[in-house]
Amino acid sequence: MDLLSDLTPLFFFLTIAGTFVGIIFGAIPGMTATMAVAVCLPLTYSLGLINGMALLLGLYVGGISGGLVPAVLLNIPGTPSSITTTFDGYPMAQRGEGERALKLGIAASLFGGMFSLLILYLFAPALADFAIKFSYVEKFLIIFLALTVMAALSGNMLIGIFSGVLGMLISLIGAYDVSDGGNGEYRLMFPFMEYYLDSGFSLLPVLIGLFGLSAILIEAEQGVPEDSSLSKMEISRSTPFRWTDFGGQFINLFRSASIGTFVGLLPGVGGSAASVLSYSQAKTFSKTPEQFGRGNPSGVIASETANNGLTGGALIPLLSLGIPGDSTTAILIGAFTLQGIQVGPLFIGQNVETWNMMIIAMLVANIAMFVIMFYAIRNICKVVTVPKHLLFPVILMMCVVGSYTINYGIMFDVWTLLIFGLVGYLFHRIGLEVAPFIIGFILGPSAEVYFVKSLESYGNLTIFFTKSWIAVVLWLLIMGSIWLSVFVARKARA
Amino acid sequence: MLSFFDVTVDFDRSHLIFPILVSAVLAVLGAVILATRRAEIGAALAATPRWPAGTDRMRLFGTVVLVIIYFLAMERIGRAIPNRGFGFLFASAPFVLAISLLYMHGLSRRRVIIAVLNAVIAPLVVWFILSSLFNISLP
Repeated sequence: MDLLSDLTPLFFFLTIAGTFVGIIFGAIPGMTATMAVAVCLPLTYSLGLINGMALLLGLYVGGISGGLVPAVLLNIPGTPSSITTTFDGYPMAQRGEGERALKLGIAASLFGGMFSLLILYLFAPALADFAIKFSYVEKFLIIFLALTVMAALSGNMLIGIFSGVLGMLISLIGAYDVSDGGNGEYRLMFPFMEYYLDSGFSLLPVLIGLFGLSAILIEAEQGVPEDSSLSKMEISRSTPFRWTDFGGQFINLFRSASIGTFVGLLPGVGGSAASVLSYSQAKTFSKTPEQFGRGNPSGVIASETANNGLTGGALIPLLSLGIPGDSTTAILIGAFTLQGIQVGPLFIGQNVETWNMMIIAMLVANIAMFVIMFYAIRNICKVVTVPKHLLFPVILMMCVVGSYTINYGIMFDVWTLLIFGLVGYLFHRIGLEVAPFIIGFILGPSAEVYFVKSLESYGNLTIFFTKSWIAVVLWLLIMGSIWLSVFVARKARA
Repeated sequence: MLSFFDVTVDFDRSHLIFPILVSAVLAVLGAVILATRRAEIGAALAATPRWPAGTDRMRLFGTVVLVIIYFLAMERIGRAIPNRGFGFLFASAPFVLAISLLYMHGLSRRRVIIAVLNAVIAPLVVWFILSSLFNISLP
């Protein structure tokens, strides 16, 4: 009955509105799903957790899906995860199959989203039940594993792990929290900073700075080019879309959705990795690989199924272990924190109602994404022509609102936004990676507590190897990911 | 009997254990990156000009300067007229307009009028929804 009472018109409105706004964000090059969630986060303050989540999950699904529109029509990926959609989507549009390519991508997105949602629903509670048994030792090893996997799969192993460890170090600034069993002493800062940084940098201003402000600074560096091409987006439809186009695509759909979901599971690995991996597999297993890159519908299907497959996958480690699967789900941690709820192994068991409503919100968001994009694709093309000189200042303003309100009105959080906006821009200039940095920043304080408490409890370093068979398995996985890092690095060098 | 792997944690100094460990790992990683990419880093540092071709320094630095002025103004106005979100409202309108004009390519009467309307309406709507309807504190 509780479930039915939560299914209010407001819940559906927020999910659908979030999906629509997310699609618009995704469809405008330079703006991402992460930015959409970060910018709209302050709106969830007064909505409560369930309605707030409905909005944010709608934004997430819409934001990932919207990138397909300019990818097909303009050869510009709206979001990084649509990069491989341009390979075949744009050639299809050029030969008059724009509408067909878009609708193939939209339907594939729906399949990817639904598949990953099913995996999320089945797998996350089981993983959480298993993770409840973990002691501090296993919890620390899980974080260690997350960092090594992230490093193994980042563009450059050393840079990836350096960025992650740097994020971890920055997260330790402030007092060693007494509520976590710490001694309350300050570290990594000067005495005059103690007033501002007692609890360290707040997560939300850091995230909004890294993903909101820095994205605008990067655009400003490039002169905020006016995409006159956006106003020229036209949907050619000399060859109409037919559902029979999916004939013979079942394996491609299933494989791509599985890859997307699996990549989503891995911390800090974004949608672009999912779509690139899926596209390359589709090409490898195709009977006609030479047609890829020349307007092969299989390429569009592989790319779009995988990037939407990421959505459910990235929520699995977040809701079962408290480890975000990608940068957008990292921001969702902020939404939970805002409502006083900690995500981790106990989350699903203690918040069954919220968990069920999140699943329903994802379901509604995927259906809404399909309906909006499939039937109103022409109107979306018109909406995305809003000029950046009008849009960006409003986004900057919303970044300020989000940062200021996170701790109920602390101006230092607004300055934190600027500091990390500049840090994000600097990372872009010198080639450091933001996603591993964020994961390190989020997991740093937990890693410290688990590590130090393990030593305090057992007084011996070997406990990290001998605590349980789970610890042994985790070490095997850690060794495996390190081996994978070395293998990938050597292959890249060869 | 104490073994090589035994560790005694001094609670008074326990706040330093993990930061020292993480700093050491970071230093080692930094050293490895410097060693393996020495040539690349050296070339980047020696490169002239420092900014890549096509960098729009006016828009980049203009954004940073305007953001700093925006934050300072918001704080000052918010202190002068506290608890009503006026710091946000009165600082945001000129900021939105200034950024719009900075990013605009080719000024025209129509575009400027739209930018002015955007600068007035957007902060007003956000202020009204958050501060008046939802009672969320704004600067």
